[in-house]
Amino acid sequence: MAYEAPITDYDHIVENCTCAFCGCNCDDLDYLVKDGHVVAVRHACRLGASKIMEDLDQRLLVPMVRDDDGELKEVDWDTALDKAAEYIANSIRPIFYGWSETSIECMKEGVALGEYIGAVLDNQATICHGPSLLAVQNAGYPVQTLGEVQSRADMCVFSGSNPMNSHPRHLARYSVFCRGYFRTRGRFDRTVVTMDPKFTDTAKVSDLWVGFEQNGDYGFYNAIRAVLKGKELYQDVISGIPREDIYELAEAMKNAEFGTLFFGLGLTHTLSKQRSIDIAIKMIIDLNKFTKWGLTPMRGHFNVNGFNIFMAFESGFPLGVDYCRGYPRFLSGETNTIDLLTRGECDVFMVVAADPGAHYPNGAVQHLAKIPVIQVDIHWGPSTEIADVVLPGSFIGVECGGTSYRMDGVPIYMKKAIDKPETCRDDEWIIRELKERVMKLREEPNVAPKYVPNPAAL
Amino acid sequence: MKTITFNQKKTSAIALEFDELRPDDIYTWEKADFDNYGVPIGNSRFPLTDYFDIEIEGEAESPDDVKMILNGDMGRVKYIGCKMSGGEIICNGDADIHVGAEMTGGKIFVNGNVETFAGREMAGGYLEISGNTKEFCGASYMGEWRGMTGGEILVRGNAGKQCGECLSGGKITVLGNCDILAGIHMAKGLIEIHGDVNRWPGGQMKNGNIVVHGKLGRLLEGFVLDEVVTNPEIDGKSFEGKFIKYTGDIGLNGKGSLYLDAIANRDKLGEYGEHDDEYTSIREYRNL
Repeated sequence: MAYEAPITDYDHIVENCTCAFCGCNCDDLDYLVKDGHVVAVRHACRLGASKIMEDLDQRLLVPMVRDDDGELKEVDWDTALDKAAEYIANSIRPIFYGWSETSIECMKEGVALGEYIGAVLDNQATICHGPSLLAVQNAGYPVQTLGEVQSRADMCVFSGSNPMNSHPRHLARYSVFCRGYFRTRGRFDRTVVTMDPKFTDTAKVSDLWVGFEQNGDYGFYNAIRAVLKGKELYQDVISGIPREDIYELAEAMKNAEFGTLFFGLGLTHTLSKQRSIDIAIKMIIDLNKFTKWGLTPMRGHFNVNGFNIFMAFESGFPLGVDYCRGYPRFLSGETNTIDLLTRGECDVFMVVAADPGAHYPNGAVQHLAKIPVIQVDIHWGPSTEIADVVLPGSFIGVECGGTSYRMDGVPIYMKKAIDKPETCRDDEWIIRELKERVMKLREEPNVAPKYVPNPAAL
Repeated sequence: MKTITFNQKKTSAIALEFDELRPDDIYTWEKADFDNYGVPIGNSRFPLTDYFDIEIEGEAESPDDVKMILNGDMGRVKYIGCKMSGGEIICNGDADIHVGAEMTGGKIFVNGNVETFAGREMAGGYLEISGNTKEFCGASYMGEWRGMTGGEILVRGNAGKQCGECLSGGKITVLGNCDILAGIHMAKGLIEIHGDVNRWPGGQMKNGNIVVHGKLGRLLEGFVLDEVVTNPEIDGKSFEGKFIKYTGDIGLNGKGSLYLDAIANRDKLGEYGEHDDEYTSIREYRNL
């Protein structure tokens, strides 16, 4: 790697900023600012730094509306907001998707709008940690904060997760290499285990790699649970792992002083989906009969956990909340965005700080291309190509402040460091404006009370 | 007997919700009531008569006297027979999710395929599906620990993943094949599968019985070989033939029973006989 000289040409430093990339929400970053732009970031990983330093080539700066010829034309804010409000007010099955890269304050306005109009509110958990949230509903949530892990954990297990690539500072700041109050020698005081079919970069820095076969996680955890209950294993090899290794691993897990399991999409998206997480949680509960153990999902976007926590607080359900009947409903497979899109049910789609055009299955994106799409975002992406109204927002944690929730559920306020471009607006302001305009167009929700055949009899 | 026939006029891309059109609700309804009724579609209601021609014959004094006949493609009609306590529904076509969910009585016959969550948390009655059904047949709602608690489901085709999840009573019979984790977390009741099972039936089951007549792909480690039984009687029903009986899920200290057809699954016996002399009799069955 070529040597890069440190940046010395800057006006001032904004200290203790919070990273707006992954669920680690590292809040020790320093932004080097020159002429109102972030020119360098200290302490951040490469992923976070590259996102924070502005890329004006791709930045959405002006509201746009797609004209009759199918071209996006720049318009003023009133025209764009009126057009978006008209789409939403006339919709029958609207979906408001995204929210994971914006603030809780913006979500608050979004939920008010969704509840008023009878929309489905969903976030990126529908394609990542949704199964984890379903399992947590069933089996509980033996979570610990990352601070506890840093100070206490002497055994860290990464299952179906590769933080060396996806959360680069996780190992250094919270889990493996860092020194903690009770782990003064850092990495030397910790045992690191990676459970993954692939020999990942995280496996390379681990003490033990458990390479169970693909989709073998449910059977593997089931065997560990059986061993923890004092049962004998009869099969020689379970999910590709010799039974002696399972005995040894279970013994090591029992003998840890403080253990932690971090799991990622490698566990949530195997054959048994939420039941893989369910059994992992049950395994943690079993381990707590011997010693202290906890688990934490490795959340991706910096505020994806925030939406789930906020929606659970507001409606009782963490994702895919359907307000179409005037009260919240949720069922995975029925009210999730991809199910509704692939079934062709959605008629208006608003995407806030997300890019379904890049991440959704083909069938879902094909349906998105047929219906009005409203985009609230800061960067041009595949979703912009299918958007009918584009509303440029601002960068939370850099251009405006806002609250987010870290992967372990700790709320962190992300402060403003620089001014946003003059033509852009805060996400929160955009959604509030939309809500007020929709309320003018549709004076009351269109959900009628239950039909009573003979009211006089009541 | 009052026969109410729904003849479909047109389909909707957005699903119609029939949770207010149970025999319990509509046994007193006249033609004018159906004409005035707005069926929930998304965040709005639209006249039911835009989508169906309604024919009514006879009179009913209770929901048990109602026979609903749905003619057409109900692939976008949810909650058919949801929470019904009596009467009969015949659906001549495919049906959407939640068919017979939380029903406590009556009968539903679907002459087609059914989407997910058929017979979810059913407490009584009878549900028959002539085609296939997808995931979570007879299962619990997400986050709930009690699935079906009573009644009977018959699937003449195949069933998807997690059939009978958290089963707490009742009986599910699948004449075709079953996908993974049938009877996961089940606590009571009977699941009978005539076809093959992909893998892991009865994961974390506490009690109850699963009978597999076909071949099982992969068994969970949490199941311990118990014995080979002949013509067992399970939940008051006799089953002919030899079955390998497992007990599990031991990871949960479960006491559930899993019966595998001994001939179709004789390869399973080879995994055990070498370890313990008490299974001498089982070795004999390896050459079945």
